[in-house]
Amino acid sequence: MRLLLAALLLVVAIPVQAQFNFNINKLIDSAKNVRGATREINEPEEIAIGNDLAARLLGAAPLAADPRLQRYVNLVGRWVAAQTSRPGLPWRFGVLEAPQLNAFAVPGGTIFVTRGLVERMKSEAELAGVLAHEIVHVQQKHHLKAIQKGAQTALAGDALAFALKDARSGEARDKLLALGTELYSRGLDKSDEFEADRLGVVLAARAGYDSYGLPAVLQTLQAMNAQDSSLALMFKTHPAPGERLGALGEKMQPTLDAYAAQPQLVERFAAEARSR
Amino acid sequence: MRFLILFLFPVLCWAEPAQLLRSTELKKEPATDAPTVTRLAENAAVDAGERRGGWVRVKAGAAEGWVRLLALRYGGTAQSGDSGAGQLFSVARTGSSGTQVTTGVRGLDEQMLANARPNPAELSKMSQFSSTAEAAAGFAVQGHLERKSVPEVK
Repeated sequence: MRLLLAALLLVVAIPVQAQFNFNINKLIDSAKNVRGATREINEPEEIAIGNDLAARLLGAAPLAADPRLQRYVNLVGRWVAAQTSRPGLPWRFGVLEAPQLNAFAVPGGTIFVTRGLVERMKSEAELAGVLAHEIVHVQQKHHLKAIQKGAQTALAGDALAFALKDARSGEARDKLLALGTELYSRGLDKSDEFEADRLGVVLAARAGYDSYGLPAVLQTLQAMNAQDSSLALMFKTHPAPGERLGALGEKMQPTLDAYAAQPQLVERFAAEARSR
Repeated sequence: MRFLILFLFPVLCWAEPAQLLRSTELKKEPATDAPTVTRLAENAAVDAGERRGGWVRVKAGAAEGWVRLLALRYGGTAQSGDSGAGQLFSVARTGSSGTQVTTGVRGLDEQMLANARPNPAELSKMSQFSSTAEAAAGFAVQGHLERKSVPEVK
């Protein structure tokens, strides 16, 4: 058991070691001290893991070559993120040059939205709603917890072999990165997605936006042909838009109604996101 | 020209076909306590127009009024019958923008994700565009966005 725990902590510790030059032996020692308890991944480690994953996502699709759009999305996103319980994270937002419709949250405060999705939006409130959903994933550490859980499961099988390998080879770090990347193809638990919808509506309303931004985007997705391949990954990793809208209607109607008259900022969105 | 656009706009506003997800009261005004014009059946086809708060103005045959936004499913009924090889070339449209998105053959799909090599240079570039909390707050003020205290719903 102790060996397993040490192995798990090694996996977690590697990116930090590489990024921040922490003393690996010290980390292993502290791992031994934790004994049975599973150690929480701390914030610098979360950010380091996030950097690895964000670089990987950017390897699949680069940033859209539109500095004005990139700055705009950062202003909107940063304002929404300021309403979370983790306002001090190094939040950054990027529009990926991809025709697919999707958005991604990376541990540590990095958020991506595809150009394909931005093109379907009609207002800043819709953009804020989508970013708020992703921001909640980071606030609630949905991906981080799933990666940690995956590492535990993966290591249980071949923990011994793993622990015997040279930890500094980077193999453990690659393993963690693979687990994380796989998560973006497989998706989170449905319950995490529904929570991100509910709290996302709350966040957007706190930021002063029309609370119907996120539901409006879900309605746009619902109206599209579900077989469209630009939706394939999004639909594989998320509950169906109709199901998500139903869940919002069930639990969020009072919140949605109370903040529906807040600004949508249609014109500002058109000027900043449609200037190309 | 501008006149023409102004003239056309209200017409275009009604151009979005939608269906009712459930049997719903058609209200005279966008409010729960407004008089009911009629009751619309589940799956009834309507033409959706302007949105006000959580309400959307709809036309259902001769009747006109307001229904809950979340009671609507946008898009016509034709799309569900779409299948087979035609899908390869199918385009998705939104009624309002009329833009077309051809089905994707490149970009961010599962395959690309699995085969991606890290791009740290692009990540550094991304950080250049990030905003400070102060700049974002200023931008919010410009947009007349006011911070509200909204309780979480678990």
